[in-house]
Amino acid sequence: MNPEPYLQLDRVIHEKGRLAIMSMLAASPELSFTELRDALAMTDGNLTTHIRALQETGYVSVAKSYQNRRPLTTCSLTATGRKAFREYVNLLEQIVQQNRPK
Amino acid sequence: MEPNWAAENLQTIRTLMERSAVYRRALAPIMIFAGLLGLAAAATGLLFHLDSMRAFGGLWLGTAAFVVAGAFFIARRQAIKDHEPFWSPPTRRVTQALIPPLLAGMAIGVCPAFFPEAEKDLNFCSVIVWIMFYGCALHAAGFFMPRGVKVFGWLFIVSACGVFYAFALGDLNSNFSAHWLMGFFFGVLHLAYGAYLYLTEKGKNAA
Repeated sequence: MNPEPYLQLDRVIHEKGRLAIMSMLAASPELSFTELRDALAMTDGNLTTHIRALQETGYVSVAKSYQNRRPLTTCSLTATGRKAFREYVNLLEQIVQQNRPK
Repeated sequence: MEPNWAAENLQTIRTLMERSAVYRRALAPIMIFAGLLGLAAAATGLLFHLDSMRAFGGLWLGTAAFVVAGAFFIARRQAIKDHEPFWSPPTRRVTQALIPPLLAGMAIGVCPAFFPEAEKDLNFCSVIVWIMFYGCALHAAGFFMPRGVKVFGWLFIVSACGVFYAFALGDLNSNFSAHWLMGFFFGVLHLAYGAYLYLTEKGKNAA
Protein backbone atom coordinates (compact mmCIF):
# COMPACT_ATOMS: atom_id res chain seq x y z
CA MET A 1 0.00 0.00 0.00
CA ASN A 2 1.28 3.44 -0.89
CA PRO A 3 1.43 5.46 2.37
CA GLU A 4 1.79 8.74 0.45
CA PRO A 5 -1.88 9.93 0.59
CA TYR A 6 -2.13 9.08 4.28
CA LEU A 7 0.97 11.13 5.06
CA GLN A 8 -0.44 14.08 3.14
CA LEU A 9 -3.68 14.18 5.16
CA ASP A 10 -4.17 17.52 6.88
CA ARG A 11 -3.70 16.81 10.60
CA VAL A 12 -5.82 19.81 11.60
CA ILE A 13 -8.86 18.50 9.75
CA HIS A 14 -8.17 14.84 10.49
CA GLU A 15 -9.17 15.14 14.14
CA LYS A 16 -12.71 13.74 14.61
CA GLY A 17 -14.34 16.82 16.13
CA ARG A 18 -12.78 19.27 13.68
CA LEU A 19 -13.65 17.03 10.74
CA ALA A 20 -17.29 17.09 11.87
CA ILE A 21 -17.26 20.89 12.11
CA MET A 22 -15.64 21.26 8.69
CA SER A 23 -18.16 18.82 7.15
CA MET A 24 -21.13 20.72 8.54
CA LEU A 25 -19.74 24.07 7.41
CA ALA A 26 -18.82 22.75 3.95
CA ALA A 27 -22.51 22.16 3.20
CA SER A 28 -23.82 25.45 4.57
CA PRO A 29 -22.99 29.09 3.86
CA GLU A 30 -22.75 29.65 7.63
CA LEU A 31 -23.92 28.08 10.87
CA SER A 32 -24.37 29.56 14.28
CA PHE A 33 -22.37 28.33 17.25
CA THR A 34 -25.57 26.94 18.79
CA GLU A 35 -26.56 25.08 15.65
CA LEU A 36 -23.13 23.46 15.43
CA ARG A 37 -23.12 22.60 19.13
CA ASP A 38 -26.60 21.02 18.98
CA ALA A 39 -26.04 19.17 15.71
CA LEU A 40 -22.71 17.70 16.83
CA ALA A 41 -23.67 17.20 20.48
CA MET A 42 -20.50 18.94 21.68
CA THR A 43 -19.99 20.94 24.83
CA ASP A 44 -19.46 24.70 24.56
CA GLY A 45 -15.86 24.36 25.69
CA ASN A 46 -15.03 21.54 23.29
CA LEU A 47 -16.56 23.34 20.32
CA THR A 48 -14.81 26.60 21.22
CA THR A 49 -11.43 24.83 21.37
CA HIS A 50 -11.93 23.17 17.97
CA ILE A 51 -13.19 26.34 16.34
CA ARG A 52 -10.25 28.30 17.73
CA ALA A 53 -7.84 25.73 16.25
CA LEU A 54 -9.57 25.95 12.86
CA GLN A 55 -9.61 29.74 13.07
CA GLU A 56 -5.87 29.86 13.80
CA THR A 57 -5.11 27.80 10.70
CA GLY A 58 -7.32 30.14 8.68
CA TYR A 59 -9.91 27.49 7.79
CA VAL A 60 -12.88 28.98 9.61
CA SER A 61 -13.97 32.56 10.09
CA VAL A 62 -16.06 33.60 13.05
CA ALA A 63 -18.41 36.59 13.03
CA LYS A 64 -20.07 38.06 16.07
CA SER A 65 -23.30 40.01 15.82
CA TYR A 66 -26.62 40.49 17.58
CA GLN A 67 -29.99 38.93 16.84
CA ASN A 68 -33.02 40.06 18.82
CA ARG A 69 -30.61 41.82 21.20
CA ARG A 70 -28.83 38.57 21.93
CA PRO A 71 -25.24 37.86 20.87
CA LEU A 72 -24.97 35.60 17.86
CA THR A 73 -21.74 33.87 16.82
CA THR A 74 -21.68 32.47 13.30
CA CYS A 75 -19.00 30.33 11.71
CA SER A 76 -18.23 29.78 8.04
CA LEU A 77 -15.50 28.16 5.99
CA THR A 78 -12.92 30.46 4.44
CA ALA A 79 -11.73 29.91 0.85
CA THR A 80 -8.58 28.29 2.28
CA GLY A 81 -10.68 26.06 4.51
CA ARG A 82 -12.89 24.99 1.64
CA LYS A 83 -9.84 24.14 -0.48
CA ALA A 84 -8.20 22.22 2.37
CA PHE A 85 -11.42 20.29 3.00
CA ARG A 86 -11.74 19.40 -0.69
CA GLU A 87 -8.13 18.17 -0.75
CA TYR A 88 -8.71 16.15 2.42
CA VAL A 89 -11.76 14.45 0.88
CA ASN A 90 -9.83 13.76 -2.35
CA LEU A 91 -7.04 12.10 -0.37
CA LEU A 92 -9.56 9.98 1.54
CA GLU A 93 -11.03 8.86 -1.77
CA GLN A 94 -7.55 7.91 -3.01
CA ILE A 95 -6.97 5.85 0.14
CA VAL A 96 -10.32 4.10 -0.32
CA GLN A 97 -9.41 3.33 -3.94
CA GLN A 98 -6.06 1.88 -2.87
CA ASN A 99 -7.68 -0.36 -0.28
CA ARG A 100 -10.32 -1.64 -2.65
CA PRO A 101 -9.71 -5.34 -3.46
CA LYS A 102 -8.70 -5.83 -7.09
CA MET B 1 -4.02 0.74 10.46
CA GLU B 2 -7.66 -0.27 9.96
CA PRO B 3 -8.23 -0.33 6.18
CA ASN B 4 -11.84 0.83 6.39
CA TRP B 5 -11.26 4.00 8.37
CA ALA B 6 -11.04 6.16 5.23
CA ALA B 7 -14.35 4.85 3.90
CA GLU B 8 -15.93 5.36 7.32
CA ASN B 9 -14.61 8.91 7.47
CA LEU B 10 -16.05 9.61 4.03
CA GLN B 11 -19.41 8.19 5.11
CA THR B 12 -19.36 10.40 8.24
CA ILE B 13 -18.57 13.46 6.12
CA ARG B 14 -21.42 12.63 3.75
CA THR B 15 -23.89 12.14 6.62
CA LEU B 16 -22.88 15.38 8.32
CA MET B 17 -23.03 17.37 5.10
CA GLU B 18 -26.50 16.01 4.39
CA ARG B 19 -27.62 16.81 7.91
CA SER B 20 -26.32 20.31 7.49
CA ALA B 21 -27.74 20.98 4.05
CA VAL B 22 -30.63 18.71 3.19
CA TYR B 23 -34.07 18.76 4.74
CA ARG B 24 -34.80 15.11 5.39
CA ARG B 25 -37.93 14.98 7.52
CA ALA B 26 -40.32 12.30 6.29
CA LEU B 27 -42.49 14.04 3.72
CA ALA B 28 -44.90 11.13 3.20
CA PRO B 29 -47.26 12.00 6.10
CA ILE B 30 -47.27 15.68 5.07
CA MET B 31 -48.08 14.82 1.45
CA ILE B 32 -50.82 12.37 2.44
CA PHE B 33 -52.31 14.92 4.83
CA ALA B 34 -52.24 17.62 2.11
CA GLY B 35 -53.76 15.21 -0.42
CA LEU B 36 -56.60 14.20 1.88
CA LEU B 37 -57.44 17.81 2.69
CA GLY B 38 -57.25 18.69 -1.03
CA LEU B 39 -59.71 15.93 -1.89
CA ALA B 40 -62.01 16.94 0.96
CA ALA B 41 -61.98 20.58 -0.19
CA ALA B 42 -62.69 19.60 -3.79
CA ALA B 43 -65.60 17.39 -2.68
CA THR B 44 -66.97 20.23 -0.52
CA GLY B 45 -66.72 22.70 -3.40
CA LEU B 46 -68.44 20.36 -5.82
CA LEU B 47 -71.11 19.26 -3.38
CA PHE B 48 -72.11 22.74 -2.26
CA HIS B 49 -71.49 24.40 -5.65
CA LEU B 50 -69.02 26.89 -4.21
CA ASP B 51 -68.33 28.37 -7.63
CA SER B 52 -68.55 32.09 -6.96
CA MET B 53 -65.19 33.82 -6.95
CA ARG B 54 -65.27 34.56 -3.24
CA ALA B 55 -66.50 31.12 -2.19
CA PHE B 56 -63.95 29.42 -4.42
CA GLY B 57 -61.04 31.57 -3.20
CA GLY B 58 -62.14 31.34 0.42
CA LEU B 59 -62.49 27.55 0.34
CA TRP B 60 -59.08 26.94 -1.20
CA LEU B 61 -57.16 29.58 0.71
CA GLY B 62 -58.69 28.24 3.93
CA THR B 63 -57.64 24.73 2.93
CA ALA B 64 -54.12 25.98 2.17
CA ALA B 65 -53.92 27.57 5.63
CA PHE B 66 -54.99 24.27 7.25
CA VAL B 67 -52.42 22.33 5.20
CA VAL B 68 -49.60 24.72 6.18
CA ALA B 69 -50.58 24.52 9.86
CA GLY B 70 -50.85 20.72 9.69
CA ALA B 71 -47.51 20.36 7.89
CA PHE B 72 -45.88 22.54 10.53
CA PHE B 73 -47.37 20.39 13.28
CA ILE B 74 -46.31 17.10 11.65
CA ALA B 75 -42.73 18.30 11.01
CA ARG B 76 -42.43 19.63 14.55
CA ARG B 77 -43.68 16.36 16.00
CA GLN B 78 -41.10 14.43 13.95
CA ALA B 79 -38.34 16.75 15.18
CA ILE B 80 -39.37 16.26 18.82
CA LYS B 81 -39.53 12.50 18.31
CA ASP B 82 -36.01 12.49 16.84
CA HIS B 83 -34.71 14.76 19.65
CA GLU B 84 -33.59 17.31 17.08
CA PRO B 85 -34.21 21.05 16.81
CA PHE B 86 -37.24 21.87 14.68
CA TRP B 87 -35.96 25.19 13.35
CA SER B 88 -32.79 23.65 11.92
CA PRO B 89 -30.74 25.33 9.15
CA PRO B 90 -32.30 23.08 6.42
CA THR B 91 -35.81 23.85 7.72
CA ARG B 92 -35.01 27.54 7.61
CA ARG B 93 -33.69 27.34 4.06
CA VAL B 94 -36.68 25.30 2.83
CA THR B 95 -39.05 27.85 4.40
CA GLN B 96 -37.13 30.75 2.86
CA ALA B 97 -37.33 29.06 -0.55
CA LEU B 98 -41.06 28.33 -0.23
CA ILE B 99 -42.27 31.73 0.97
CA PRO B 100 -41.72 34.05 -2.07
CA PRO B 101 -43.49 31.89 -4.70
CA LEU B 102 -46.27 30.94 -2.30
CA LEU B 103 -46.89 34.55 -1.31
CA ALA B 104 -46.80 35.69 -4.95
CA GLY B 105 -49.19 32.91 -5.96
CA MET B 106 -51.55 33.78 -3.14
CA ALA B 107 -51.44 37.51 -3.89
CA ILE B 108 -52.22 37.04 -7.59
CA GLY B 109 -54.58 34.11 -7.18
CA VAL B 110 -56.70 35.92 -4.64
CA CYS B 111 -57.27 38.97 -6.89
CA PRO B 112 -60.43 37.64 -8.58
CA ALA B 113 -62.07 37.36 -5.17
CA PHE B 114 -62.21 41.16 -5.10
CA PHE B 115 -64.42 41.12 -8.19
CA PRO B 116 -67.45 39.10 -7.12
CA GLU B 117 -69.38 39.83 -10.30
CA ALA B 118 -66.49 38.70 -12.51
CA GLU B 119 -66.87 35.75 -14.86
CA LYS B 120 -66.64 32.28 -13.36
CA ASP B 121 -63.79 31.68 -15.82
CA LEU B 122 -61.55 33.65 -13.51
CA ASN B 123 -61.60 30.65 -11.16
CA PHE B 124 -59.56 28.85 -13.80
CA CYS B 125 -57.07 31.72 -13.84
CA SER B 126 -56.63 31.36 -10.07
CA VAL B 127 -56.16 27.62 -10.45
CA ILE B 128 -53.49 28.05 -13.13
CA VAL B 129 -51.66 30.67 -11.07
CA TRP B 130 -51.80 28.55 -7.92
CA ILE B 131 -50.57 25.41 -9.66
CA MET B 132 -47.79 27.35 -11.39
CA PHE B 133 -46.54 29.14 -8.28
CA TYR B 134 -46.90 26.07 -6.11
CA GLY B 135 -44.73 24.20 -8.61
CA CYS B 136 -42.15 27.02 -8.48
CA ALA B 137 -42.20 26.86 -4.66
CA LEU B 138 -41.62 23.09 -4.67
CA HIS B 139 -38.85 23.45 -7.22
CA ALA B 140 -37.11 26.15 -5.17
CA ALA B 141 -37.42 24.11 -1.96
CA GLY B 142 -36.19 21.06 -3.88
CA PHE B 143 -32.65 22.49 -3.87
CA PHE B 144 -32.55 21.69 -0.15
CA MET B 145 -34.59 18.51 -0.24
CA PRO B 146 -34.39 15.08 -1.86
CA ARG B 147 -34.38 15.26 -5.65
CA GLY B 148 -37.94 13.95 -6.07
CA VAL B 149 -39.39 17.23 -4.80
CA LYS B 150 -37.89 19.15 -7.71
CA VAL B 151 -39.40 16.68 -10.18
CA PHE B 152 -42.74 17.01 -8.40
CA GLY B 153 -42.44 20.80 -8.75
CA TRP B 154 -41.73 20.47 -12.46
CA LEU B 155 -44.84 18.33 -12.83
CA PHE B 156 -46.94 21.19 -11.44
CA ILE B 157 -45.22 23.84 -13.59
CA VAL B 158 -45.60 21.87 -16.82
CA SER B 159 -49.20 20.94 -15.97
CA ALA B 160 -50.07 24.57 -15.26
CA CYS B 161 -48.73 25.51 -18.70
CA GLY B 162 -50.82 22.71 -20.23
CA VAL B 163 -53.97 23.82 -18.43
CA PHE B 164 -53.30 27.42 -19.45
CA TYR B 165 -53.04 26.53 -23.14
CA ALA B 166 -56.07 24.26 -22.95
CA PHE B 167 -57.97 27.15 -21.37
CA ALA B 168 -56.66 29.75 -23.85
CA LEU B 169 -57.45 27.56 -26.85
CA GLY B 170 -60.97 26.99 -25.52
CA ASP B 171 -60.51 23.25 -25.04
CA LEU B 172 -61.52 23.57 -21.41
CA ASN B 173 -65.29 23.68 -21.03
CA SER B 174 -66.18 26.53 -18.69
CA ASN B 175 -69.10 24.47 -17.32
CA PHE B 176 -66.46 22.13 -15.96
CA SER B 177 -65.88 23.07 -12.32
CA ALA B 178 -62.41 24.33 -11.38
CA HIS B 179 -62.75 22.23 -8.19
CA TRP B 180 -62.03 19.15 -10.28
CA LEU B 181 -58.69 20.58 -11.31
CA MET B 182 -57.84 21.65 -7.76
CA GLY B 183 -58.89 18.23 -6.45
CA PHE B 184 -56.69 16.50 -8.98
CA PHE B 185 -53.57 18.63 -8.47
CA PHE B 186 -53.76 19.32 -4.76
CA GLY B 187 -55.56 16.11 -3.78
CA VAL B 188 -54.81 13.17 -6.05
CA LEU B 189 -51.23 14.13 -6.97
CA HIS B 190 -50.27 14.74 -3.35
CA LEU B 191 -51.80 11.46 -2.27
CA ALA B 192 -49.97 9.63 -5.06
CA TYR B 193 -46.65 11.28 -4.19
CA GLY B 194 -47.25 10.62 -0.48
CA ALA B 195 -47.90 6.93 -1.19
CA TYR B 196 -44.76 6.74 -3.33
CA LEU B 197 -42.69 8.37 -0.57
CA TYR B 198 -44.23 6.16 2.08
CA LEU B 199 -43.09 3.07 0.18
CA THR B 200 -39.62 4.40 -0.66
CA GLU B 201 -38.75 6.45 2.45
CA LYS B 202 -39.48 3.65 4.90
CA GLY B 203 -36.42 2.53 6.75
CA LYS B 204 -34.00 5.04 5.28
CA ASN B 205 -35.30 8.14 6.96
CA ALA B 206 -34.02 9.92 9.99
CA ALA B 207 -33.75 13.64 9.59
